Amino acid sequence: MFKLRLNYLIIFLTLSLIVSCNKSSNKSVAISEEQLIQKALDIHNRVLTLDTHADTPLRMIQPGFDMSERHDPRETGSKVDYPRMIEGGLDAIFFAAFVAQDIRDDDGHSRAKNLCLQMIDSIVTSAERNSDLVGLALNPEDAYSLESEGKRAIYIGIENGYPVGNDLSNIDLFFERGVRYITLVHSSNNDLADSATDPNGSEHGGLSDFGSEVVKEMNRLGIMVDVSHGNDSLFYDAISLSKAPIIASHSNARAITNHDRNMSDEMLKLIARNGGVVQLTMLADYLREVPPNVERDSAIAALRANMKQFDEMTQEEQRSARNAYQELNIKYPTPAATVEHVADHIDHIIKVAGIDHVGIGCDFDGGGGIEGVFDASEVMNITIELVKRGYNENQIEKIWGGNLIRVFKEVQAVAKKIQAQNI
Amino acid sequence: MIVFRLLVLLFTLWMTGPAKAHPLKLSLCEIEYSSKKQLLTINLKLFLTDVNEAIVFDPNSKKLAFCQPNESKKANALLLNYLNQFFHIKANSKLVNLKIKDKNLKGEGDNTSLWVSFEYIQPSPLKSLEIKNAVFTDLFFDQNNIVYVHVDKKSKSLMLDKKRSIHQLKF
Repeated sequence: MFKLRLNYLIIFLTLSLIVSCNKSSNKSVAISEEQLIQKALDIHNRVLTLDTHADTPLRMIQPGFDMSERHDPRETGSKVDYPRMIEGGLDAIFFAAFVAQDIRDDDGHSRAKNLCLQMIDSIVTSAERNSDLVGLALNPEDAYSLESEGKRAIYIGIENGYPVGNDLSNIDLFFERGVRYITLVHSSNNDLADSATDPNGSEHGGLSDFGSEVVKEMNRLGIMVDVSHGNDSLFYDAISLSKAPIIASHSNARAITNHDRNMSDEMLKLIARNGGVVQLTMLADYLREVPPNVERDSAIAALRANMKQFDEMTQEEQRSARNAYQELNIKYPTPAATVEHVADHIDHIIKVAGIDHVGIGCDFDGGGGIEGVFDASEVMNITIELVKRGYNENQIEKIWGGNLIRVFKEVQAVAKKIQAQNI
Repeated sequence: MIVFRLLVLLFTLWMTGPAKAHPLKLSLCEIEYSSKKQLLTINLKLFLTDVNEAIVFDPNSKKLAFCQPNESKKANALLLNYLNQFFHIKANSKLVNLKIKDKNLKGEGDNTSLWVSFEYIQPSPLKSLEIKNAVFTDLFFDQNNIVYVHVDKKSKSLMLDKKRSIHQLKF
C-alpha cells in the first residue's frame, strides 16, 4: 500500500512539474521520454527475449482456439498467441505442459502421463502448423538461429513432475518428445517432491528418494531442474544434488514480497553460487502485498444489506444481484501490480545474487499478467522500465534470455560429461 | 487549485481505474466412463470461494457450511440450482440428471476446493458426450474450466471458457 501511494506521489510531483514548466521546456521533457522509449525498444529488438514459463498449452486444448489468430485478452483472458508474441517482440518461449494433479496411484500416474503427452503433442502440432511464424526449439542455439530466420522459438517444459509417476524411464520419453525443463512439483506434494503450498505440509522433507533419482536422470539427459513451486527443503535438496545449475522458471524475491512461492535472499545467494537463474514472474500476488480494498468491501456490504436472502430469490433476482455484484467488482478493482513492482524484484535479485542470475518467466495463461504487462504483446514495457532504471543493453540482454541460455548450455555440457563417463 | 484538481484526478483514477490484474480462475472436471461397470462418473473440483461467490455472493460466506456438521439443508439444492444453469453432460444426446453422490473439501484457506461427485448409470455403449462447462464464467471473464475425459482407459483433455463453453466428443 505504501509503495503504491509513493508511486502516486511520484506521479503527482512529476505532473505538477510538467504543469508548472513553460511550453518550450515541456517539449524537451516529451522528447527526452520519447528518446528513452525508443532506446529501450531498439534494445528490446536487438536482444533475445525469452520467457521461460507460459501455460498456453491449456489454450491449445481449447476447441477452436487458433494460435495464429490474435485474441483479445479482455474477452477470455488469453495471454499468448503468435501474433501477440510478434507484437511484443517476444522471441522465444517455453510452453509448459501442465496436468492437474489427481490420485497418486498407477491409474492416476498413467492417465497423467497420457494427458501430458497429449499436451506436448498439441505444442508440437501448433508449431508445425505455424512453421512460417515459429519453430520448435530443442537446444540453446536454436533460439538464436530461429530469431535470425525471423521466427519465434518454441521450447517445451513440463510443469509438475506428477506425470513422471514412479517410472524413471518416463524422463527419457519426455526428453525425446522435446521437453527441456521439468518443474518437479506443483501446488500439492507428488511422488518426487514437496510443494510450497500443500496444505498438509512436507511429506518427503524436500526431494523424495525417487525425486533424487529423477534429478540425476535429468542431469544425465540435459533437462533443466526447475524448483519453482517447491518448498524450501526441495530447493536446498535439489541445489545440493544437481550436478548442473538449476532454475526457478517462475518465482520472485521473498524479501520484496513475502510469499512461500518466492525465494529468500539465502536461496538467491545459493543460486548465484550454483550458477543458476531465477526467472521473474508476473503473478500479482507474488509481486506485491495485496492492498486492502475498503471502498469495494463497503459497497458490497451495502448491496448485501439491501438484498433478500439468497435462498428466497428467484433465478431472475439472483441473476440481477450477481450483475450488481460484478459491477462493484469492476468499479472498485483491487489495485494492480505494475511493471515497477517487477523491476523492484529484479533490482533486489541483482543486488543479492548479481546480474547473471535473473531472468523472465511471465506465467501467462497461468495467472500471470499485470498492469503494463497484461499479455505477450506488452512485454517490451519491462525493457522500457529497465532502461528507465539505468540498465544498459548488456545487462538487459542477460536478463531477457542470456542468463537462461547460459544455464541451458551448462546443463547440456554437464549431460555430455555424465554420458561420457557412463560409456 | 491545479494541485487540488490533480489530487482529485489521481484519487479518481486510483479508485475507479479498470481492472488490470486477475488471479488464475480455474476449475477442474473429470469425467470417467467404464463400459464394464456401465457407469458414468463426474467429478467437479471447484474453489470454495468461487462457489460461495456464485450462489451467496460472498466468497468467504460460512452460511452454507459445505461438508461441515452444520451444513445448511439448502446447500445441495442451491449448488445444483447453480450448476444446472452453467454445467451439463449429455450422454448419447440424453441429458444426464445430476444428483450429488458425494462432496468433500480439500486444501485450506483461499485454496480450499469443493469436490462434488455424480454418478449416472449408462447401460448402452457410450457413443457421444456433450459437455457444457461454463461454471463461474458469469463471475469472471477469464474463468477457465479444464475437462479431463477418461473412457475405457483412453484419456482426452480440453479446456472450456466463456466463449466456448460446450464441446462434443464422439467415441
